[in-house]
Amino acid sequence: MTMRLARYLPILAILAIVAGLAGLGTAVLADGRSDDRSDDRPDEWSPIVYPLQRLPLIFSHGKHLARGATCVTCHPSAAQSRSAVDNLIPTEVQCRACHPIDRADPERIVAGAPPAQCRACHAGWQPNLPVERVYLTPSPLKFAHAAHTKTACTTCHGDLAHVALATTRQLPTMASCLRCHTSGAEERRCADCHLAKLGGLLETEFAHGSLVPHHTGLGDAHAAGFAKDHRQEARQVNATCTACHDQSMCLGCHQGVTKPMEFHPGNYVLTHSVDARRGKPDCSACHRAQSFCVGCHERSGVGMRVNTDFNTVDPQRAFHPAGWASRSGGANRHAGEARRNVTACASCHREEDCLSCHSAEAGALRASPHPRGWRASAKCRALDRGNRRMCLRCHVTQAELGCDWSAGP
Amino acid sequence: MTGDTVTAMRRACIAAVLLAVAATPAHAYEFWLRSQTIGQAYQLREYRLVGPDLFLGRRRYTQTLALRIWDVGDFARRRREARLPDHGLRISWQSYLRVDHDFGNFGNGKISIANNRRRDALDVIPELDESLIDLDLLYGYLELSGIADDRMTLRLGRVLADDGWGTTAVDGAAARLELPQPLAISASAGLRVRAKSPLGISAFELDGTSGAGCREYVEAATPGTGTWKLIDRNRVIENTRFSSDFEYCPQREALQPTVGLAIATSRTRRFGAELGYRRTWSSTVGLIGAVDRLDVADRGLYPNEFGQAPGRGVNEEHLHARLHGELAHGDLAIQPFGNARFSILHAAIDRLDAGVRLHDGAHSLEPTVEYFLPTFDGDSIFNVFSIEPTTDVRLGYRYDGVVRATASGWLRRYAQADGSAHSGGLEAGVERTITRALRTRADALWDDGYGGRRVGGSGEAAWRARDTMWLRGRVVVLGVAADDRPRYVTSSTVVSSTWKLGDAVALHTVIEADYDQLHALQTRVIGVLDLAFAPEP
Repeated sequence: MTMRLARYLPILAILAIVAGLAGLGTAVLADGRSDDRSDDRPDEWSPIVYPLQRLPLIFSHGKHLARGATCVTCHPSAAQSRSAVDNLIPTEVQCRACHPIDRADPERIVAGAPPAQCRACHAGWQPNLPVERVYLTPSPLKFAHAAHTKTACTTCHGDLAHVALATTRQLPTMASCLRCHTSGAEERRCADCHLAKLGGLLETEFAHGSLVPHHTGLGDAHAAGFAKDHRQEARQVNATCTACHDQSMCLGCHQGVTKPMEFHPGNYVLTHSVDARRGKPDCSACHRAQSFCVGCHERSGVGMRVNTDFNTVDPQRAFHPAGWASRSGGANRHAGEARRNVTACASCHREEDCLSCHSAEAGALRASPHPRGWRASAKCRALDRGNRRMCLRCHVTQAELGCDWSAGP
Repeated sequence: MTGDTVTAMRRACIAAVLLAVAATPAHAYEFWLRSQTIGQAYQLREYRLVGPDLFLGRRRYTQTLALRIWDVGDFARRRREARLPDHGLRISWQSYLRVDHDFGNFGNGKISIANNRRRDALDVIPELDESLIDLDLLYGYLELSGIADDRMTLRLGRVLADDGWGTTAVDGAAARLELPQPLAISASAGLRVRAKSPLGISAFELDGTSGAGCREYVEAATPGTGTWKLIDRNRVIENTRFSSDFEYCPQREALQPTVGLAIATSRTRRFGAELGYRRTWSSTVGLIGAVDRLDVADRGLYPNEFGQAPGRGVNEEHLHARLHGELAHGDLAIQPFGNARFSILHAAIDRLDAGVRLHDGAHSLEPTVEYFLPTFDGDSIFNVFSIEPTTDVRLGYRYDGVVRATASGWLRRYAQADGSAHSGGLEAGVERTITRALRTRADALWDDGYGGRRVGGSGEAAWRARDTMWLRGRVVVLGVAADDRPRYVTSSTVVSSTWKLGDAVALHTVIEADYDQLHALQTRVIGVLDLAFAPEP
């Protein structure tokens, strides 16, 4: 009973962790459904999604709203707009509906009427000089105001009652969009809002900069050193990497045939032994030891199969130091090294090399490679139950198989 | 005209008629491709302790083609033209094909074995097959998305499966179904891609040689006293140039059915969790060939006098869990994460890491703990060896402002019953964009402990000389004192350029010169013709 419990303890531990953080998730989810924009962080307005504007104007949304103007008063075409490229900024024509502007009389003042002087809106206006232009680079987004007419303007643009000139800060952040767009698959499909290029990947290169995920809460912040260490981002559940990157970009390095220069230091063929011996970084993230490492080691003469100067018992010429392995009860330093990182052994040696000593086969040295307490261990039972073929490599008779026998070493 | 010719012509006619009947109007589809032509030339050493080393040439040619064909069948055209978000059935194709060939004598040369006999290198070292000549399909699948009111996605073909610690390819199908919020379920089933799979590569295989290795069990007169012997070395050898004439490991060619299932959170922000399961197994190889080939009783590849060989064996069976969260307090973001994998085959947790990323403005700090227990293919005897886990503690820092900087420190403990060992290190780097056309970076490294000591640094500069020309240079100096080896200092200089030849076409060249006290000067040249070039940000 105790053994059974011990066997399932790790699974229970994983489930407990998942359940524990589910509570955290629920709390965060509830927090995420809030409708106000008060938790929008300043760094969430991307200068690539909302390019820098130049608005040399004097204007107050607050004053206009206080005098009874509504959003559609000045932005009448917003409700029909189907594209983020549409310019919804009111032109002078819309202003004239209330402001008695007369270009022939730039200083015009009409008693009881809203200001009509040019300088009332155009800061620094001077006669006979061109008016400073307004520059608005369209946002590289797909957006249809027409599809959002049932949503109040303040939901996305916030309350402008105390805002003078509206800027990109009054445009919705991705966080605020996702507060409503939570049901359905749309949250996972970046190209529903961001521009896509041929093949469905997001367009990331624009004249005003590169669109790089930045602290979005979706697991994709490309900070310094990201190209070298991005495993946590890539591991995140529902990571959105493939919105911008084709999977071939991953395999180009991880299953690649060329060495990314920024990853391994130069002359790595010489210096890699330190990393390989430590097992850090994990070579198997890109290489399979028993095809990648063995091929090169054997061909370079640092192996077992070829006529090599290293494959000798002379300690001055041997690859391994003195006391590495002994068949006659001498020093066996390799045992400790193998326990630390057997993968390093496997990058040169085949299993047959180990079996020349570590086998219970008739006539073999019968040196046990198992850890202490092996036969009674849960690992022995699990491996025997899952794949007895590995046991058969050394243990042949029925009496020696399984984890309950007591004869032999 | 022979009977065979008539039969062949009849088949051709039937095929032509069938094609004509089944033919539909031609469609032009939107596609994206990325193609790279990579040429590499360098030399590796065949080490000699007596006399000078020999040099082995590697002249590698690699051609890659990544292809995406979008909206096959035009199912999404109407919504796309109406500028509406995708909805409903959409069909696409994604694939990545690679041709790799080494012309040099590294793979094609001869090699000396015992008694000074000369053999093809590939015959003695069949692992060289990985890079000698290959046509690999790394993945290639048809994706049907938007099924069942956009709740299901189906992939058919060679699909990639990932459990956070390793990517493998499966010839079969994968599906993802959105359950009521906040859950989604995904499943995959098929045959794991092995080196022997059609267009397969060994990189997707688990490490650990097969249980049979390249030997078979030969029964003796008394049951239970047989021995393992090399497989049928007396068979007729054909001298094939691109595969080993001697290597024959039937268990490595066995099909490996794989199933995977995962349930995960979906459509949640600032929290994600996944619990998954994956199992790979294979049937036990019995008799080699169809008949009993040996003079003695032959009951198969494995000892089986008493029926002890199992019908099948598990190669991999895992449960994995991963989760992450994000809590925000003003400008401070706290992002805890944890990942764990439990090997059911080994009854042990073999991968575990946990940490938290603290992000405040341009600064982020990330302490993590990582646990690692090596596990292998279920056929490998390494699984039953006395292998100890390692535990890492790491502290990473990033600054992402005008100057970009990284710094990290790590400590690894190798736990052993007879005493533990440690290794640790520090790394730091600073990157600065001086002008829009010039960027520089400097890094420093120190590590020590088990494995050896390394101290060094590197300097790097990237300069956009013209609108169509990028130049980069990097110098690395490293002092190494590996355990049981003489100390040495090595320096490496890498100069690379990118010349944009046309729209999305560029030629990259890399020249690397390494110098060290052991080997003197070594050089390496790489050229890449990139047919889908996009400049780095």
